[in-house]
Amino acid sequence: MSWFYLILAGIFEMTGVAMINSLHKNKNWQSFVLMAAGFGASFLFLALAMETLPMGTAYAIWTGIGASGGAILGMLLYGESKDWKRIACIAIVLGAAVGLKLVS
Amino acid sequence: MTKEWIKVFFAAFFEVFWVIGLKHADGPWEWTGTAIAIAISFYALIAAGNKLPVGTVYAVFVGLGTAGTVLSEILFFGEPIKAAKLVLILVLLIGVIGLKLVTDETEGERS
Repeated sequence: MSWFYLILAGIFEMTGVAMINSLHKNKNWQSFVLMAAGFGASFLFLALAMETLPMGTAYAIWTGIGASGGAILGMLLYGESKDWKRIACIAIVLGAAVGLKLVS
Repeated sequence: MTKEWIKVFFAAFFEVFWVIGLKHADGPWEWTGTAIAIAISFYALIAAGNKLPVGTVYAVFVGLGTAGTVLSEILFFGEPIKAAKLVLILVLLIGVIGLKLVTDETEGERS
């Protein structure tokens, strides 16, 4: 069950990131509410997952799903650059961040 | 463009405070400080996403926040220094610099 919570937390984080995009594009309060709800739900499910999973592992997977998913949604839905150099740099940053959370 | 990047670094800087706060805060003042750091950090994050691509901003925010937290844990909370941590922080910084160069380049082409 804790893995399910963790994946759910990652998906909510992705939603939060996508809503930052939506907020700038549409400039409406619905985007703001969805963004706050997305990040809020994300933290809630992360906390639930951490009750049984080791903190470093939970954090690393949560970050990995949320930030890479947010970047992918940005490219698919909001016209962000698909330049391979950009994708490679995002992968390096997130790979190193996940690694850091696993070793500490 | 540099002004926009400062917002991202600012957001990550305050992220370090609230991540440490969530872990170590004790008593109402420290929890209030943590809440304020969350608000400042997300405000700067959202503001940076106005001009820069949000996917890039969020990756840098998460990356620098993590590196800053790991360094703070070593400097202020007596966590052990491991070679792996320092190497990963270096790799992470190379990625962030790369992202800044790539982003400025494509923004330049557009305008």
